[in-house]
Amino acid sequence: MRGNPNRVLWLGSVMSLISLTLAEPQHFSPWEKLLLVALLIASGSLFWRRFGAVLLKILHSKKDSDFHLAPLGRRTWNFFWEVLCQAKVIRERPLPGLAHAFVFWGFCAFALVTLNHIAAGFGVGFLDPHGQIGQFYFYLAAAFAVACAVGILGLFIRRFLVRPKWLGKRVSYESGFIAFLIFALMATYLASFFVSDAAPAARGLWWMHTLALLVFLPIIPHTKHLHLILSPATIFLSRGGFSRIPPLAGDEDFGLVTGKDLTQLVSLQAYSCVECGRCSEHCPATNTGKLLNPKEIILGVRGYLNEFGPASDAPTLGKYNSQEAVFQCTTCGSCEYQCPVGIEHLPILVGLRRGAVNTGTWEDDHGSKLFLALERGSNALGMSATERDKFIQKQQFPIFDGTQEYCLWLGCMGAYDPKGREIVADFARIMSWLGTSFGVLRKEKCTGDPARRLGNDLIFQQLAEANLETLAQNKVTKIVSICPHCVRTIQEDWKEFGQPPEVEHHSEFLARHAARLPRQDHAANHDRIVYHDPCYLGRYRNVYEEPRTVAALAGEVIEAPRSHQRSFCCGAGGGLVFLGEETGDRVSHTRAKELVATGASTIGTACPFCNSMFRDALATTGEATPQLMDIAQLTARALPQDGKSNGSANR
Amino acid sequence: MKIIVAVKQVPERDAPVRIASSRQWIEESDLQFAMNESDAYALEEALQLKEKVGGEVVVISAGPERVATTIREALAKGADRAIHVECDDIGKRDALGVARLLAEAIRPENPDLVLTGLQSDDLGYGQTGVVMAELLSLPHASLILHVEKTDVGISVKRELEEGWFQKIELPTPAVLMIQSGGTRLRYATLMGIKRAKTKELRKVNAADLGIESAPVAVLENISLPHKQRSTQILQGTAKEAAATLVEKLKFEVRVI
Repeated sequence: MRGNPNRVLWLGSVMSLISLTLAEPQHFSPWEKLLLVALLIASGSLFWRRFGAVLLKILHSKKDSDFHLAPLGRRTWNFFWEVLCQAKVIRERPLPGLAHAFVFWGFCAFALVTLNHIAAGFGVGFLDPHGQIGQFYFYLAAAFAVACAVGILGLFIRRFLVRPKWLGKRVSYESGFIAFLIFALMATYLASFFVSDAAPAARGLWWMHTLALLVFLPIIPHTKHLHLILSPATIFLSRGGFSRIPPLAGDEDFGLVTGKDLTQLVSLQAYSCVECGRCSEHCPATNTGKLLNPKEIILGVRGYLNEFGPASDAPTLGKYNSQEAVFQCTTCGSCEYQCPVGIEHLPILVGLRRGAVNTGTWEDDHGSKLFLALERGSNALGMSATERDKFIQKQQFPIFDGTQEYCLWLGCMGAYDPKGREIVADFARIMSWLGTSFGVLRKEKCTGDPARRLGNDLIFQQLAEANLETLAQNKVTKIVSICPHCVRTIQEDWKEFGQPPEVEHHSEFLARHAARLPRQDHAANHDRIVYHDPCYLGRYRNVYEEPRTVAALAGEVIEAPRSHQRSFCCGAGGGLVFLGEETGDRVSHTRAKELVATGASTIGTACPFCNSMFRDALATTGEATPQLMDIAQLTARALPQDGKSNGSANR
Repeated sequence: MKIIVAVKQVPERDAPVRIASSRQWIEESDLQFAMNESDAYALEEALQLKEKVGGEVVVISAGPERVATTIREALAKGADRAIHVECDDIGKRDALGVARLLAEAIRPENPDLVLTGLQSDDLGYGQTGVVMAELLSLPHASLILHVEKTDVGISVKRELEEGWFQKIELPTPAVLMIQSGGTRLRYATLMGIKRAKTKELRKVNAADLGIESAPVAVLENISLPHKQRSTQILQGTAKEAAATLVEKLKFEVRVI
């Protein structure tokens, strides 16, 4: 074997790299120690002055009456998965997410290094750079330091050169400075491997590292870097569930009216915002030119807390957040789904609405009309209840009498809207064909979904209680509905007032019976169906595959650019379908265009509100549009017309 | 300005009405009740007036126990206090009888203004307010869409036929019958309902007011209208159908 001088050289340099040790100045003069103490005190007290103020604001906020630490298992898992593994950060924005994760993991690895670094200044360093453990740990930290330096460089390039618009128009110089400090921390650490303990450079690097650290510390509390400290707690302490709206506590709680109503969780979340703009990026209102920007709402709450504090009587809607913006939210929940620091936007947005509606400060012609319709009548569409009776008679729906398996919940759309009625009728036809027994209630009121989302607790409570009573009287145990809004409101929101029966969406019912449903000849009908995930079925209920399974019986299912958890709202939710004209572009038009652009021959829906929004949107766009059908209609079109009697024969 | 608003509780708009076995009134047991629509507008007008010029809004309603829910709704929307004239046979009383009850309950209050709806959604006499004004010897105006306070009294906007309006001035005190649709109704709020619990609700009855019940007009019996299915579908081409239609309108219905 012939020696290769190059290889020897290369091997030699690797060997010398491995033999490198972290240089630590061996001796600090008393003056140096004094200076270190003075700097530590200055940095620490400046940090504490700023952070203490924030902490007090959070602690002095109202207690969350419904907060329970249990279940600890879920909290621990969320902490492990979202904080330690950075799973959500990476999943939703892989490249910057990974860069962030490197910085985060670098920081974690550096905790011990930093402690040892300061301790060494006082001659009590506990990690020996020459010892086995010390050397191993410093190597490990060095690997993280390289990753962290690369990560922060990547984030710097993204923020200052790529400049995605969701980071905001304002250039954040402080972010640049922080990035520089982090880079300096890593660079000085790594450079220390290449000097000897005795060299003056070692001392220089040590002090530079210390200074970067001590300058960084007091910048944390008053900038978005506060998330470093708060967001692990925010994620661990989050309410859980999705869009969970807390019950009002006591006779003087009307929602987030003033600072006194801001709870500890709300304040904690407001201070945790890292201003990454993921919420804005996915918000249907922000994306169609409306005033609402979920990030600004959260920062508005923070601004309010900074100026007025949690004991203030100043209204929450005013200087920092506007009523107009708050009432532009469709409650689609993409902000809450996206948020990497555990902010629960919907309880805050709905809380602000509650404050405005429960005290009567929200004045809106359409809103009042809706509330009055719900006060006086039974449904959100303001129709006469006899219209529902007529529809039931015409369809010959059996009345639920306790002998049937399912109560078919019609909902306002299913009972009064022409297209909603077609969907219900088709779904009922499928149920009959499958031989599943069902009945409809003689009287049914709106579930209260629009009132709930718009923040009208009085009407919501009245409707929930009246419906719960009707269901109990009729001994209903299982409900199925074509409307994801009804399903969600019955299952989750009614719980505040009683135990609702089991409820499922028709997509879940149909998917369970898919094997017995007719499979249509894809080759023959050439139907390419683009399925639109309704917010209240997807993000709210985590049902994504069932409706696709059902749609796949009728044709080839294709995906829109934004689908599943990232589905883009139709614009109807949050009571907005009842509030008349929008400013900016219409959310429904934006989404309908996106669905049409997929080239699908059919838009498949699973929510009567989405269906209604797209129907109007497609009518205005006017081009050769795809057909619009609910998954129940897609299924029912393959049934024989006299399907009603075929149930038993089919078994 | 002290404003009294007389409101009536009526069956909910879409309530399926059945006739009671006595055939003198409807079966109330399974009915839902609500505030009479034009009375709701009268209340709204009173509340807006109070918000502008200050004063007090007192709501008054005659009827059985169930009326309390409507009174509470009025208090929740912003009325300051309420008078419940207890009366179990409100449906059988004629307009004069009801007007007497209300007038006697209102008299000791010495209000500046009495507002009530144009007519009730159930019986639809449209007289109670006018008779009440007469009993109180006060000037009155009906079909009012808007009220404004002036230096000497009030100025009101009346609705006439075919989109015409009339503006008239009245001295106070006066009685006004409010037409539906003149303004935007406010919705009931949670805060309103909670605050309403602490507001004064005074109960009086016919005996307290010194009124003996002797209706001038007696309700003999009520009946549902007969359903007449007289829809005809005209057959043939559009031209033929149009010709038949003209013929029928000319000779059968005699409208052209």
